[in-house]
Amino acid sequence: MKLETITGKYGNITVHGVEYRIYFEENGKGIPLLCQHTAGGDGRQWRHLMNDEEVTSKYRVIAVDLPYHGKSLPPESVEWWKEEYKLTKRFFIDFLVEFSHTLGLDRPVFIGCSMGGHMALDLALECPDEFRAVIGLESAEFTPGLDIIWFNHPRISGEFRFANLFESTAPSSPEKYRREVGWVYSQSAPPVFRGDLHYYSVEHNLTGQLERIDTSRIAVYLLCGEYDFASTPEMCRQAASKIKGAKYTEMKGLGHFPVVENYRLCKTYLMPILEEITKIH
Amino acid sequence: MRVVFLDSSKVEHLRNAINNDAEFKLAARYMSEDILLEVNDSRCIVKVRDSVVTEIKLDPPSEDHWSFSIKATADSWDKLLQSSPPPFYTGLNAGMIRGNLQIIGNMEVAFAYLWAMNRMLDIMKQLQNK
Repeated sequence: MKLETITGKYGNITVHGVEYRIYFEENGKGIPLLCQHTAGGDGRQWRHLMNDEEVTSKYRVIAVDLPYHGKSLPPESVEWWKEEYKLTKRFFIDFLVEFSHTLGLDRPVFIGCSMGGHMALDLALECPDEFRAVIGLESAEFTPGLDIIWFNHPRISGEFRFANLFESTAPSSPEKYRREVGWVYSQSAPPVFRGDLHYYSVEHNLTGQLERIDTSRIAVYLLCGEYDFASTPEMCRQAASKIKGAKYTEMKGLGHFPVVENYRLCKTYLMPILEEITKIH
Repeated sequence: MRVVFLDSSKVEHLRNAINNDAEFKLAARYMSEDILLEVNDSRCIVKVRDSVVTEIKLDPPSEDHWSFSIKATADSWDKLLQSSPPPFYTGLNAGMIRGNLQIIGNMEVAFAYLWAMNRMLDIMKQLQNK
């Protein structure tokens, strides 16, 4: 067996008075780089980045499964089966900050994709002193209309997510990784993806607020895949244009899941940013 | 160029290609539905029974029943059927969300079989670009 250097750990964390047993993985040494998975996904989406020695030689890369995702179970103290799962913006922000504090991270760099990309903007606005930089992949100011019932319907199986998210990748990305996107999506518990979309498509609405982000306190980098039909390159570019000092890059030949579907190509866009952060922050 | 599923000289070949596709067989398990495909004013119905495409019926009468329809302009179908489609044409949901096609009818069935329909689209692409 050829072992990878990624290690996984479990921990218990209390947010809003509720204790959660959570799972996270990490690799590398240096500036902490906190990686946020997409709606309905989990930390496995960061496996290529976490196994990249060019990154892990400079960064301590950490990917956490949010509660209810991946290996992080629902809390034991809540009768979660009696209430609809919905990820709220307040919980999402507070969880990430608490997680960072619990690990004693010193102003980590935050990188997130899709709802993680949206969260990059929320963190930049609400907690600029907690993070030194945010890198938002597939970010937008507001993405209404995607919180649709079919993502959590008793008659529709996880195959819908499998097919739907496969489409969100670029046709030129390697098929094995495009299929992996769908595989991970088909594995989340039935209500999780739609519950996360409550944040992604409803609560994350920074209309009229992006101008308040202060990039002298926190650096903001936004990137969007050419094929992203959920948060389109134009939506991401517009968001960046409203933040003085933010940097925007369109990633040609990539879709909504750049770090999963074609990490080799994604890295060509990401590495200059990671290099820049090591020099100036 | 006429889309492959409306070309009378190619629909039988298309039907066989779909039925011989391993992925379609998996994705279309337990499927017995009629799907209307529309290109501007031209139409066909793809009839699936027990996961097998039994007929691609060209110019069906308007009273024929169907579960759901996929409707797009000739220009949109042209993009959907390119071997490497442009952004927002990478599948049926992508096209629908960006307003490049419409799915009408029983959405529950349409989404339950999105994988099968996208696979059918892939096979159409292969034949369209041969």
